[in-house]
Amino acid sequence: MEIPVDSAAIPADSDRAVRSALAELATAMPGREYWQTRPVSMARECAEVVGVVAAIAFAGWFVPVSYHFFGYVYLLTVIALSLRVGRWPVLFAAIVSAVTWNYVFIPPRLSFSVLDVEDSLMLGTYFFAALIGGQLTARIRAQERSERSREQRASALLHLSRALAAAPTLDEAAAAALRQADGLFAGQTALLLLGSGGSLVPHPAGSFALSDRELAVAAVALQRRQPAGRYTCHLSAAEAMHIPLRRADVALGVFVVRLPAGVTDLTAPQRDLIDGFAAQIALLVEHEHLRAAGEREKLLAESDRLHRTLLDSVSHELKTPLAVLRSAVEQMETDDPGKRARLAGEVSTAMRRLDHLVANLLNQTRLEGGALRPQLDWCDVRDLVGAARRAVGDALAHRSVDVEIAAGLPLVRADAVLMEHVLANLLLNAALHTPPGSPVRVSAALDPAGTHIRIAVADRGPGISGELAAELFQKFRRGPQAPAGGLGLGLSIVKGFTAAQGGDVTVGPEPGGGARFTVVLPVAAHGSIPNDEH
Amino acid sequence: MSTDPTRSEVLVIDDEVQIRRLLRMTLEEAGYAVREADSARVGQSELLRHLPDVVILDLGLPDQSGVEVLRRLREWNPVPVLILSVFGQEGNKVAGLDAGADDYLTKPFSTGELLARLRALLRRIKPAVATSSFRFGRVEVDLAHRRVAKDGQPLRLTSMEYALLQLFITHRDKVLTHRQILRELWGPNSESQTHYLRTYMLRLRRKLEEDLDAPRHFQTESGVGYRFVSEPSEAA
Repeated sequence: MEIPVDSAAIPADSDRAVRSALAELATAMPGREYWQTRPVSMARECAEVVGVVAAIAFAGWFVPVSYHFFGYVYLLTVIALSLRVGRWPVLFAAIVSAVTWNYVFIPPRLSFSVLDVEDSLMLGTYFFAALIGGQLTARIRAQERSERSREQRASALLHLSRALAAAPTLDEAAAAALRQADGLFAGQTALLLLGSGGSLVPHPAGSFALSDRELAVAAVALQRRQPAGRYTCHLSAAEAMHIPLRRADVALGVFVVRLPAGVTDLTAPQRDLIDGFAAQIALLVEHEHLRAAGEREKLLAESDRLHRTLLDSVSHELKTPLAVLRSAVEQMETDDPGKRARLAGEVSTAMRRLDHLVANLLNQTRLEGGALRPQLDWCDVRDLVGAARRAVGDALAHRSVDVEIAAGLPLVRADAVLMEHVLANLLLNAALHTPPGSPVRVSAALDPAGTHIRIAVADRGPGISGELAAELFQKFRRGPQAPAGGLGLGLSIVKGFTAAQGGDVTVGPEPGGGARFTVVLPVAAHGSIPNDEH
Repeated sequence: MSTDPTRSEVLVIDDEVQIRRLLRMTLEEAGYAVREADSARVGQSELLRHLPDVVILDLGLPDQSGVEVLRRLREWNPVPVLILSVFGQEGNKVAGLDAGADDYLTKPFSTGELLARLRALLRRIKPAVATSSFRFGRVEVDLAHRRVAKDGQPLRLTSMEYALLQLFITHRDKVLTHRQILRELWGPNSESQTHYLRTYMLRLRRKLEEDLDAPRHFQTESGVGYRFVSEPSEAA
């Protein structure tokens, strides 16, 4: 038996176990002959019987012994044949042996003779032996067959469950199951899973495309939680058999099998096999449902934790400047002009902090709410850097900021406002996380391949360790030595805004010490410029 | 420049009472006369009743968009308008400027910045440039003969560069949106061709600015446009 297992159809990333299980299955599955009651050709057995009987007659013709001897030879022949051929052929053997013995051996030879009592008894034993032997053989054969089919069923299900367990996702497992079912049932199969809206959705790996009529039958099977369609007592005019996937009281979907055209009825073991298959798939689907539910639970818990963190830090970040403002304003009445100036300084610092916080929260919300619509436009990198420096204001007042922009840099396609936030956040970060007075360097250049523009903000601070670099761009992530204040949103916004413009941002060490953040934007070609007198 | 603001009248159209109160306090101390309106409807009737010297207009009014108020005002009068917008509404801001606003500030803004912008707007309507020449930094522009000189040395500008410079001088201290400049110089079909503008701005700055990385006169307003400042304050 040959089961076509198309190894190319198995996704390359699926587990090797799936492949080996499938390969094993290919040799173990019953296949087409399992479904057709074998027409173990009776004609062939009868021909065999005739051959044996004739051979004995031919041999006996030349052997000069008493005709009684051949009576016994034929009796033995019938007994021997009863072990080999079916019930009816052995009866046929008894008849042929009786006729041949009478016609060929009982004198007068080559004519039918009247039998005496002894000979008649002998002929009677032929039929007796044939009947008994045939019966026994038939019983043994039936037992053997059911044994074999049970074994095949068990091994098919075993292989199925092994393949299912090895598949990493429901999709792959379902595809593997359907492929196996196709081979096993030598027909076409389909898997319909209950979708979110309560409708049945066919799995793409199914080989049987259901017509509207078959879909209706499947819906009935699902609703009644009973098999329906062909080979069942409900809607048996359908093309295929529809078995609901049941777990406890819930139907999760429908397994559809369309057997080869010749199969008119199913034996109990065959039904068992199909049911077993459906049960395995149901188990798999339920598993997946439970896993998804668990995942959702975990996600909820995670987002809950994030919310709490956010609330905690936002309220802290809001309340600190508010406390400063309140206290400073209450003392504003003072007559000491020096103190008033100091208080005004505190107020303005607190205010700037609030402003920055609100801006970052709004930006993060825009990023997550999907409300971010970058207005991509041609931009001059010098403008972007200049705008960011102005936005940062006096946070970098007491540092040397070295700007190095390569001459002849092409224009970039970017959203100027988003880029201002990106670069300003990077500059502010450099100001916050490096020792006061240490220099900051901004550079922009074309990469060697000429396909990207790299804008780098480098500092001379403590640098960023490898493991921190990996998660630096996640929100609410703050470095271990980060000074108080800040939500850890800045870099997440930098990443989000850059990605929204088709770019990327990375962090690495600056040669000579410090950290270097690099924003990479793709180079795009713009149309020619009219009235170009240069 | 010492424009005397004592006679100047400001109309503040904003629905936030605290903002109005603070603006009144600031502006009166700076010598302006202040009138208030808390909605677009009141604002419009105030504008009709007596035209102020300058209007401060909030874009987020409860009854009507500030841009709409501006559009109706511009149908009959060019009085300088400074719009106030909040963070994150860049589109709104550009719409306001395209509708004819002269300048914008984003809340929260600094008082010093506000007063400087108002001074610049008033300076423009009381033209000090009656002459045919204009000076900024080390550059002198002879508008009558279309000649430009830096430190007394003649400077060659292409006709497009000169047109751009002239546009900026005409609208000095005012924000020009990309669209406004592109339409003026390259025609209405080129309003989205920002790369023309970026390229010419770079050339103009290269010829006229001291430091390309920190231009003082030709300032970029991110996502909005450009502002030509003839007398930049030293702090900026």
